[in-house]
Amino acid sequence: METIYSYLSKKQESTSLALFRLGFGLLMTYSIIRFWLKGWIQMMYIDPSFHFTFYGFEWVTPIGNYTYLLFLVCGLAAFFVAIGYRYYISIIIFFLSFTYIELMDKTTYLNHYYFVSILSFLMIFLPCNSSYSIDSYLKKQSIKFCPRWCVDSIKLLLFIVYFYSGIAKINNDWLFEAQPLKIWLTTGSYDFPLIGSNLMQQEWFHYFMSWGGMFYDLLIPFILIYNRTRILGFVLVIFFHLFTALLFPIGMFPYIMIMSSLIFFSSKTHKKILDFILKPIALRINDIKQIENIKIQKQPLGLFVVCIFFIIQFLFPFRYSLYPGELFWNEQGYRFSWRVMLMEKRGYTTFKVVDSQNENSFYVMNDDFLTEFQERQMSFQPDFILEYAHFLGKHYKSQGLKNIEIYADSYVALNGRISKRFIDPDRDLLKEKRGFKNKDWIIPLNEKINSL
Amino acid sequence: MGDKPTVFYFRMMNYFKKIIYSILVIFVIVSCSSDNEDEIDQVPQFDRSSILKNYADNIIIPRYNDFKAELDNLEIAVNNFTQTPNSSNFDQLHDMWLVTYKKWQYVEMFNIGKAEEIMYFNTINTYPIDEQRIKENISSQKFDLRNSNDWSCQGLSGVDYMLHGVGISKEEVIQQYKDDSNYGNYLKNLLTIMTSNTADIVQDWSTYKSTFIGSSGNSNTSSLNMLTNDFIYYFEKGLRTNKIAIPVGYFSGGNPFPEKTEAYYSSKNSFENVSKVLAKEALTASESLFIGKSSSGSVGASLKTYLDYLHSADVNKDNLSPIIVANFQKAHQALDDLNENFIDQINDDKSKMLNTFDKLQALVVNMKTNMLSILSIQVDYIDADGD
Repeated sequence: METIYSYLSKKQESTSLALFRLGFGLLMTYSIIRFWLKGWIQMMYIDPSFHFTFYGFEWVTPIGNYTYLLFLVCGLAAFFVAIGYRYYISIIIFFLSFTYIELMDKTTYLNHYYFVSILSFLMIFLPCNSSYSIDSYLKKQSIKFCPRWCVDSIKLLLFIVYFYSGIAKINNDWLFEAQPLKIWLTTGSYDFPLIGSNLMQQEWFHYFMSWGGMFYDLLIPFILIYNRTRILGFVLVIFFHLFTALLFPIGMFPYIMIMSSLIFFSSKTHKKILDFILKPIALRINDIKQIENIKIQKQPLGLFVVCIFFIIQFLFPFRYSLYPGELFWNEQGYRFSWRVMLMEKRGYTTFKVVDSQNENSFYVMNDDFLTEFQERQMSFQPDFILEYAHFLGKHYKSQGLKNIEIYADSYVALNGRISKRFIDPDRDLLKEKRGFKNKDWIIPLNEKINSL
Repeated sequence: MGDKPTVFYFRMMNYFKKIIYSILVIFVIVSCSSDNEDEIDQVPQFDRSSILKNYADNIIIPRYNDFKAELDNLEIAVNNFTQTPNSSNFDQLHDMWLVTYKKWQYVEMFNIGKAEEIMYFNTINTYPIDEQRIKENISSQKFDLRNSNDWSCQGLSGVDYMLHGVGISKEEVIQQYKDDSNYGNYLKNLLTIMTSNTADIVQDWSTYKSTFIGSSGNSNTSSLNMLTNDFIYYFEKGLRTNKIAIPVGYFSGGNPFPEKTEAYYSSKNSFENVSKVLAKEALTASESLFIGKSSSGSVGASLKTYLDYLHSADVNKDNLSPIIVANFQKAHQALDDLNENFIDQINDDKSKMLNTFDKLQALVVNMKTNMLSILSIQVDYIDADGD
């Protein structure tokens, strides 16, 4: 108890939070602009007539052309976060708008969007505007210190992201079959200076990358924590993320991780970086009165929320163990758990609509309702399949068909295995409820991939 | 604070130097070890551009040339017939139409480059055709065949109607052309746009070829990815859905639409039963592309040899290519079992059509899940981020 109390009273220079806030805000502003310019708002949120929702968040849907406004608000909030202008309102708006965007259609789900969402939630409770911010400039005072746990909480979240994605790699496919890297690297066409393209075809290299990736994820948080190895760690972070950025289309994720990893450096380093970046306006910052000996606010409520937040973060990825069957196949508890790049999974799923009164049946053309992107995601993820079946049920009932049943004809290929039937073709999916109950209408894989 | 940033700048430069040197060292180590590996363990590397080269040189371009040659002959036959509408000219025209339609089955899948740009396959083979609209076009003589609303009024399916649908017998049809020059005029217009589009595409391939072969990467827009997607799209929609599934009523509660079969009028009015002939050609064309077989029978690099390579490189345990080849065999057998005339087949016994559908469906499943997965080709062109 004593040690906990003394830890909580420890302080650290607020420059660490300031640099993090600046980096995060700018990257997010850029991400939103990039998303917009690529035409993805139109393609992913406006064009589709149907959207896949998260269970419990069915009410979160795109809002027509106002969706653009939502992105505008989100982008502006990100920029205000960057410059530290009305920070608390901005980060709350950013968290809400970004999370709303991610909840609109789970077709677009990515782990790093989830990371951004929960990180921005965490930042609501951190005084990231204490210094080097417009807020402090306007108040003409900056606060030199912040509670150390504030900085550490960001490190802890990064620790979870890395370490858990390392744990997720401890499975038979990844370590002992080098899948799916074997498929991706062999069929990718890479031609790097010096290493050329031949290396990617070598089987030993696939194993090297798989094992290397696992050790990297498991160890990098520790390498970054210790003073002596920190520089090495950061070099590894840059190398690893830029290398994967070259290999795979993973968007902003590498840059977000590289920026975030800077948090492990000392406040002094952060201050130097900030002074260096802000050199042109350094004079004006000098005008600001710095409060040094302020008592660190205890923020008991914030601390409490952050503690709950981390308990959830630690436990949530393990919820899959509550379900029987193979995780990679059933995907029950797969998302929100830092499982990245673990599966080369493809499906082909069509639906049969049966009129139970006269046994007439017909098949649905998926492209009548779904975009190609949605159809691809739907075809191998059970919760998508069920939600879509229910949508079809509603659609055909509104067309005047009563007493209908809907059956899925579904095949899935996973990590180089030949495809096999995925959904029990004799189960009427309209009778199955959405939710967290075990989906016993999935035909089991009957193979053990996930050993943990 | 004045000069601190400068000092810091030098410190940072030192960091960066260290970082860059470290990366270089890692690259050198990695590349050296890969050189050594080459000598010990020669992994024959698969060159995607070899597939593209074989496809372009031995399949796509020759097939387009074949089609163009027959289409030009068809145009001559049309001119002869419209000038002198008589029985022998009609027979020649009908035969040329069928020959051309068969050759078409070998190019419909190549919806890439110029063909994609002008929506070529829609202009040649949209069916069922819009009878009413064609009639209006003929009588008004005011029409714009480049308008997408007129896709269902032109092409080889349009010619089918013009030859076999404007009367229910040869005599009736010939009489129409004798009585009303608008018919001949419209038919000639159909040929003009087809030959001009086709000439454009053939011409375009002479320059597009190098771009096509050069784009040998694995991105959403590289040639093999686009071609494979086009091929599967064609197989699923153009072949399985349009030729079999829609007519037999697979998507319509078992209510069949025999009038939606390909080249409907020729079969319906008993000029010649052609539905099965065309479907067989389409299946052969698809199989040939998969195994890389040219019209002269030579076999080269293809999706099949790529799958064989990946299996030999231990990327996947079960080799897919023999499975897919066997799937094609079964589909051929199922098609062979059908009546030459799908209208009759649908009216007599739908189950054989449905059996054919199942065999084609097995191919779709294998290609869309297993093949695309092993080749890591995305099924859509979306450049969304991954995880």
